[in-house]
Amino acid sequence: MKVFTIIWLEFALMFYAQDIFCADAENKGDNSSNTGSKSFHSNQKTGTIKKGKKRGKNWKEKKDEDEESKFRTVVKGKKNSVKDVTGDSSVIEGEKVRKGKGETFFESVGREDADIYVTSRGGGIHGVGSGASGGIHIRGLGGSPNTQILIVEDGVADYQGIFGHPIPDAYVPYLIDSVVIVKGGDSVLYGSNAMGGVISIKSKWRNIDGYELRSDSSFGSFWTMREGLTLLGKNKHLSYNGAISYLSSQGHRDGAGGKSFVGQSGIRYSFSPEVKITLKDKVIHIEGQDPGPASHPYYEHWFDVWRNMFSFALEGNGDKLSPSMIAYLNYGNHRLYDGFHSDDFIWGGKSEIKFALHKMVEILLGIDATGNYGNVENRITDEKEDIKGFCDFAFYNQITLVPFSKLRIVLGSRELINTMWGFVPLYKGGFLWNFYRGFYLRSRVSRNFREPTIRELYLPYPTANPSLKPEYSLNWDFGAGFDSNHLIFSVTGFMTYVENMIKYFGAWPSAEVVNIDKTTIWGVEGKAGFKDIGPVSFLFSINWQDVGRYTKQNPSLKLDASLEAGHSFSKVRIEGGISMEWVHGIYMENYSRKRIPDAFVMDANFRLRTKIRGMFSVEPYMIFRNILDRSYAYIEDYPMPGFSVFGGIVMEVM
Amino acid sequence: MPALKIENKIRYTFLFLFSVIFLILFNSCEFSYPEIVVVNMTSEHILIRNVSFNGCLWNSTLAYGKASSPKRCLPGSDRVHFEKFDAKQYCREQVEDGTIEGICLCDENDKNDDIGEGLINEEPMWFKYQTNYVVQAGYGDFIRVEIKLDEIQQDFSVPGPYGH
Repeated sequence: MKVFTIIWLEFALMFYAQDIFCADAENKGDNSSNTGSKSFHSNQKTGTIKKGKKRGKNWKEKKDEDEESKFRTVVKGKKNSVKDVTGDSSVIEGEKVRKGKGETFFESVGREDADIYVTSRGGGIHGVGSGASGGIHIRGLGGSPNTQILIVEDGVADYQGIFGHPIPDAYVPYLIDSVVIVKGGDSVLYGSNAMGGVISIKSKWRNIDGYELRSDSSFGSFWTMREGLTLLGKNKHLSYNGAISYLSSQGHRDGAGGKSFVGQSGIRYSFSPEVKITLKDKVIHIEGQDPGPASHPYYEHWFDVWRNMFSFALEGNGDKLSPSMIAYLNYGNHRLYDGFHSDDFIWGGKSEIKFALHKMVEILLGIDATGNYGNVENRITDEKEDIKGFCDFAFYNQITLVPFSKLRIVLGSRELINTMWGFVPLYKGGFLWNFYRGFYLRSRVSRNFREPTIRELYLPYPTANPSLKPEYSLNWDFGAGFDSNHLIFSVTGFMTYVENMIKYFGAWPSAEVVNIDKTTIWGVEGKAGFKDIGPVSFLFSINWQDVGRYTKQNPSLKLDASLEAGHSFSKVRIEGGISMEWVHGIYMENYSRKRIPDAFVMDANFRLRTKIRGMFSVEPYMIFRNILDRSYAYIEDYPMPGFSVFGGIVMEVM
Repeated sequence: MPALKIENKIRYTFLFLFSVIFLILFNSCEFSYPEIVVVNMTSEHILIRNVSFNGCLWNSTLAYGKASSPKRCLPGSDRVHFEKFDAKQYCREQVEDGTIEGICLCDENDKNDDIGEGLINEEPMWFKYQTNYVVQAGYGDFIRVEIKLDEIQQDFSVPGPYGH
């Protein structure tokens, strides 16, 4: 009842807001044409306000344009938003993430390409610690915990100071403009942890004067309630973005429930179109439990996490010279049921300058400093852990050569000094050759690294080793493909050679964490599909890999497929889609031990987009997960939910 | 009454179907989960607690003959796991160790005076047990599981402690 009351109140608020904003926009004679967002609704706005100019286009044409932009979401290594075009990367538009089929952000990313694998346990909350899900693997690296995969939000590396990995529940889709997934890592540009891959999230801002308000409310199985409220605004030089997200779920079994709150707020002042200053703050509060294995569930194994990330950025974007500077502070407070309490801090800053020496040469130079520190205590036993923080100072550079228009060569290096481990040299080199009308060849080799975390060094959970050294990887990949407006095809072979890999062995009380010698991972990833052939689009991707001895939660084969269709009837558009994931060769232990059955799941979704009045639009949707009601699990004894259904409504005023 | 435009017909038809399908599915998929009840039919002097089945956990203690409350659990198969406390056995041990004042064994010769104070454990021990058969629970089932002494075995498959 409470949920429906909230939805109705929002409905009323939207109507009221629409009257204000419509009147405001029309009075100002707002002739903006680009919101910077490729959403369905941004087209709607231009069609309404730009009298005479865009009205000539009917709804279907506008939808088609939008659909085209939607399926332009996955492009191999060619996007301008990617700093290094020779790396194998995928770009996901924010709108696609927002339409995630009842999934968490990590799960949405995991459905994007077959070489990305995310463990899940089915509820709305992933959790924290080694009992948690949300482990993200890219090409055999990463996982529980995600220390080998780096998450970057608006240029700021986001991880916990003590545990060295991001919290899977901290990312919500409402303010995401785009997500770039760099496979094979890039420690030259991003530093420590960017070993197996980088997930770079860019926030959404409004580029033209005006406001937009969006609410996404849903309710469904296991009494799961999601609410996301987003406000974007711009008035001349000043822009604002803000979002709050609330998720509450009882979970599909005892102890799997929880709730999370994520609040994000940013303000930006543009001195000129080229120079802007941005302040941003994000607060996260997550409460949940580890439900434990289904055969032996846990009682009250709760966690309570608060985090806050503040950043300041000054950016310039000239034709030949683009300097930027970012400073940030990331603080976290974690409490667990067993008395564990930690405060952790990450501070940092980086300054970067990109300049075009010549039309054939672009140079990027940067300096970077990061510090990690924290305090850990047990509030029940009053024990305090003795830990030491550490800092990184680095200089990095990247040169992009364009000897002729279809070939790009990228070379780079990072010279890093760590207060514990001394000098760390890193490098990379690659090329991208667009040789004929959408056909391309690319390859890249990069040396990446990860520092041990404070937990691995000092905290006995379950064990620690103060003499650990950083782990290094040499990632090489080679790919070929074709990309056009309607067809997509690519094949990539990859090989990763890892030295000093940090691994936990055994179980408490006889566990140990050590640098292992060497290991090699290699595999092949392929993708094929068509988009906008009539009303239908289809994407299929497959990944096979040999991870050597370290098979724990590192499947050998993954397959993803999605089929989507839509049709417009004047001002109404109906869309539907079906997607599937099959994961083969899941082991709970290394050395191919404790194999569990393959995971296979199919989801479906339906949406109706309709413009009710003026600039007010409504989009009811329904999501069906595990439509075949299969019993499956990614983690042994953590069964995923059976068939479940979620219904929601998106309301938007622009 | 003016005729509805085609888009309005689609809009209303879809919204109606949308609501109906959602309500039916939402209600049917959750309320058809199997209901499980566990009854302690072991022995008059045995208590069981923390009974679990396929992700369901009853955080209560069941005396002989008592049943847990019915609980909706995930469909699937699992053994019923629980912790068992034998009160008779415990009393016997405590009397043997002389920890209960004023109570002693009938045969004084049975009293074990050699046990050092540090070796005496007064804490009641709850041992992990499970049924020696697997219970299968499907959608719409109501299953009453009786825990009987001749159908249980010790459970050594206990997971390790939670990591951070």
